[in-house]
Amino acid sequence: MITGLVVLAQATADGNAFAQMLVGGISFGAIYALLAMGFVIIFKATSVINFAHGALTGLGAFLVVAFATVLDFPGRFLTSFPEWAQWTANVLTAFAVAALFGVLIERVFLRPMVGEALFAVAIVTLGIDIVVRTITNDFIGTQPRPVGAPWGLNVIDLGWVIIAWSEVIQIVVTVVLLVAIAMFLRTRTGVAMRATAFDQETARAQGVNVGRVFSVAWAIGAFLAAVAGLFYSVFPRRATGVDQATAFIAFRAFPAVIIGGLDSIPGAVVGGFAVGIAESAANTYLGFEFLGNGFPGIVGYLLMMVVLLIRPYGLFGTPEIRRV
Amino acid sequence: MRRKPQWLALLLVLGLILAACGDGGSGDTTTTAAAEEEPTTTAAPAEETTTSAAEEGAGEVATDVGVDLEAQTLTIGLLSDLSGPFAPLVQVIVAGQEMYWADVNANGGIGGLQVQIETRDTAYDPAQHVQLYEELKTQVVAFGHSTGSPQTMAINPQLQADGILAIPLTWYSGWSDPAINSNLVPHGVPYCIEAMNMIEYLTLQAPDATTIAIASSPGDYGEDSNAGAVLAAEALGLEVVYNGTGLINQADEATLTEVAGGIASSGAELVWVTTSPTPFGSIYGQALAAGFSGALWSGAGPTWNPALVAPDSAISEPLSNDFYISAYYAPWAAESEGNAAVRDLVTAAGADPLDYYAEGVIEATILHQALQAAYDAGDLTQAGVLAAAKGLESVTFGGLAPDETYVGEPNERVQRAQFISRPDPAGLADGTSTGSTLVESNYTSPIAEAFEFNEACFSLG
Amino acid sequence: MKGRPLLYTSYEADQGLLNTTSKKVMLGLFLLVLVTIPFQVIPGLQFLGQADWLRLLSTTAIFAIGALGLNILTGLAGQVSLGHAFFMGVGAYTAVWLGGPEDGPLLGLGLPIWIWLPAAGIVAALIGVAVGPTAVRVRGLYLAIVTLGLVFIGDYLFRNWASLTGGAQVGRDFPPLEFRWWKEEVPVIDFTTPSTWFGLEVSGIAKTFFLLALLAGVYTLLAKNLQRTRVGRAFMSIRDRDIAAEIMGVNEFAYKLLAFGISSFYAGIAGALLASFLTRVIPEQWNLFLSVQFIAIILIGGAGTVTGALLGSAFVVLLPRIVQNFTLWLQSLALEGEGLLGAIANVFIATSQTDFGLINTMAGVGPGLSVAQLNLVLYGLLIIGFLIFEPLGLFGIWLRIRNYWKGWPFTY
Repeated sequence: MITGLVVLAQATADGNAFAQMLVGGISFGAIYALLAMGFVIIFKATSVINFAHGALTGLGAFLVVAFATVLDFPGRFLTSFPEWAQWTANVLTAFAVAALFGVLIERVFLRPMVGEALFAVAIVTLGIDIVVRTITNDFIGTQPRPVGAPWGLNVIDLGWVIIAWSEVIQIVVTVVLLVAIAMFLRTRTGVAMRATAFDQETARAQGVNVGRVFSVAWAIGAFLAAVAGLFYSVFPRRATGVDQATAFIAFRAFPAVIIGGLDSIPGAVVGGFAVGIAESAANTYLGFEFLGNGFPGIVGYLLMMVVLLIRPYGLFGTPEIRRV
Repeated sequence: MRRKPQWLALLLVLGLILAACGDGGSGDTTTTAAAEEEPTTTAAPAEETTTSAAEEGAGEVATDVGVDLEAQTLTIGLLSDLSGPFAPLVQVIVAGQEMYWADVNANGGIGGLQVQIETRDTAYDPAQHVQLYEELKTQVVAFGHSTGSPQTMAINPQLQADGILAIPLTWYSGWSDPAINSNLVPHGVPYCIEAMNMIEYLTLQAPDATTIAIASSPGDYGEDSNAGAVLAAEALGLEVVYNGTGLINQADEATLTEVAGGIASSGAELVWVTTSPTPFGSIYGQALAAGFSGALWSGAGPTWNPALVAPDSAISEPLSNDFYISAYYAPWAAESEGNAAVRDLVTAAGADPLDYYAEGVIEATILHQALQAAYDAGDLTQAGVLAAAKGLESVTFGGLAPDETYVGEPNERVQRAQFISRPDPAGLADGTSTGSTLVESNYTSPIAEAFEFNEACFSLG
Repeated sequence: MKGRPLLYTSYEADQGLLNTTSKKVMLGLFLLVLVTIPFQVIPGLQFLGQADWLRLLSTTAIFAIGALGLNILTGLAGQVSLGHAFFMGVGAYTAVWLGGPEDGPLLGLGLPIWIWLPAAGIVAALIGVAVGPTAVRVRGLYLAIVTLGLVFIGDYLFRNWASLTGGAQVGRDFPPLEFRWWKEEVPVIDFTTPSTWFGLEVSGIAKTFFLLALLAGVYTLLAKNLQRTRVGRAFMSIRDRDIAAEIMGVNEFAYKLLAFGISSFYAGIAGALLASFLTRVIPEQWNLFLSVQFIAIILIGGAGTVTGALLGSAFVVLLPRIVQNFTLWLQSLALEGEGLLGAIANVFIATSQTDFGLINTMAGVGPGLSVAQLNLVLYGLLIIGFLIFEPLGLFGIWLRIRNYWKGWPFTY
């Protein structure tokens, strides 16, 4: 215990280790934030707790693999462009297809459940998770599938900290998407979405096409999940690529959602980065023998418990109004 | 009011009927088979001796479960992880078994008996493993493989009580331990001896190395392997500068980051990581990102997967320089007679080249020889096959894998020889290899040779 | 007046467990079938007496106990819990601590079953009540994710506490199902080895089956009775409208805690029995999928009903076997069948690397879903299908069949 504290003191004094910890935490936090944001958008617009978010992540990551390496579409027709541009075009196509799948899943399985108890709908998504994940895994097959990211293993070595190119791109893309979504919520569709989140029936009475709002929300959710799936499957995370376990990352993002509050998009972002940094810090500073193996993996859940004890609706969540 | 569809109920009823029908057929036969607990010598039916088996000069064969002399079939069981963590490997291994037995059947089977395979998916779950064992034990004469160590341990008492043979599909050193292996015939070098071989080999490649970092998955696989690694490090005078035994959890990204950080900051010159390919790739990549390079890496056989050096893999190039592949059998493109036979089988089946087919062929070869010996001895009962397998003095694989023996003291029986390969991304890209080229055949390190084996390196309790 | 159906002259009769003659008859028949199954005497059901089917039925009995517990929490009190697997794990490890061998390398006190089995339930219940305050504070869907967290935290604890659990991917052996008064050498009743009962040869698995079926029966009766008491009604009022319940004088906090406690008690018992039944269990056993299975059981069976929990357990436990037999049957049709049926089967089954098919029987290499994958897909689709089309589950189907025959031949 005392030696542990000594180690802790030494580690904290080491600024480089701290910076490295922060880089790892922020880049992983970005993945959690993307997942949490998609989750919250779906919940806000459709009141569905989406336990199938993992399946959407796995599906999205697989689609990236399929379009970027197997099909090479539309890259194969863009021969005059540099390779990275071809790859980007492929990946963007994959994201679009992933969004379509999101819409499809909502239409087929969840539209019939509109108006049913929230709990029943949540369990339907558990069923969807099993179905979609199993079929995706059949397609992923037995070997891990690299996504062929053009930045590869390149890192920026600043001497006091090393940052992988993929981490830079990941953080930039996440920030861009955050801004884009914040702006989207101010557009006409975005306002309709917020109105639907507030009260489906009233929104409908005001002329909002609620069905379209549902579709858009699921499209965004699936899109963000696919982006997260891509960044999870590149160096320095899972350098080997997408495999049958990729989908499980979503379970690690649930605490992020709850910490921020189920219905708060800023909350999802804060929660995502908080969990990412907390895990990274636990990894760097809490390597004590008595904590055993895998402690950083549950730090998110422990943090969630603590937050819930203080604020039962998360940091930014809206308390439920209870009426008889 | 919404009308509730009635078809759901109908479907349900249909399903139940189908289930009853589906089982009815096999169920009846198995009950009769199970009822005949005592091996029945088929001397009784005179008309049977005039069938083809007799014409081929087979004589009388005692049978109980899994052999149908009338239909001329012999059934073996496979307890396979087809949907769990090792599904990627095991699916191919099962296919290898199927190809091998199809070939045996085409060449007359075992004394005219056509070999049938009952494969069940255990999902790497001990509970399902036991359940499916119970289902198959009244249908099969022996088990062609049993995936996973805790799983095989879970059925081991039952195997002993029922007197049935199983081939463990795991390289846990306990399978050569006389306290455990009365009903098991292991093959290949156990994890702990493998670690001794490989680490000594690494020191030959880097003679100046004085430090080693080790890490592994939990369970017998990682613990057994690292028990050997620690012994080897001691014998070679290497300092273990990082020990992450049992730390790697594939489903938990944070443990991978932790291990990668530990290895990178230790500055070790040799690295021994025993896990599965995806976490390995992640650990290697993260260590690289932390500026750790120049060390030699290796790990137990299942750690390697050619996808690690696939053309799209980010770590392909550095890993090809750093990694030494440990294998229980020779890679796909090796020149031995046994490898050629595997290539022929796989090509004939129209499948793509993969190394793991060989494992299926190896298991099937052992069982084939046991079945043949049992047949020649006139006792194709479950107990007869077990006795025949335990009496096999030498099983050879035409250079595909080192010879095995199942008689003698544990220290004489235990396999110490293995194969060592290097990554071959170029061969993988142009299809001339499966991503590795052989550098050492039947390699046994002096440490492994001197190691006195009497019991498992790591106890499963 | 006498003999008129559905006429009750007292509340007791109306609330009776077996308030109609047909219920009494059905129960009698059901019990008769249960008792005779291992002896393979009923034509058409003989296959159930085989060792592997008896194992499945025993598993069903254990799952039924666990499902009854979750049904009290989720079905009656309306609190969604994904943490059932965690409490089962707590029960199992309590059992092994008390009942495991004294002289082994791992923790164990060597106590008999009449101590370790109830203790498994009690310790799980205490832990349920201990984590309750956090869980009761949050409501609705937040609760689902808090309990999800319990499974992950439990997984971490179980994997790391190697002196009790045997360690990750290693596991340990659990005390067998055998009755001892104290620590005598030879057990009074050994439920896993064959012997002669009342002049009948009874196999080991048959004895296990009888024991587990009996326990499931006892816990079913307890659960059924709980529903009819003041406590059960309080649970239901919280489920239906918590504030209204509070206004009517139901102490929401206390009753939610109680629901957690009772549910965890059942889970602990089920966990201990399951581990003991399986003999060797690795810590990873108590995972999220197990929790999801229990949620599926009560939804497929019909949330809030005891019969539903039993039907659902049978369905979920037997489904994989049914699907497996179905695919094997299709496969034999595709390989050997002729005519239309064979052709149809051929479309569904891929029999070689190059053959097309939705289902692949060649261990998953090549096109199509493997049998295991098909199982999972069907499982998921069933959960979805029941919730969309039949929210009352199997119990709802049963109810409609019953009502149909009640009025037969008139429509109502």
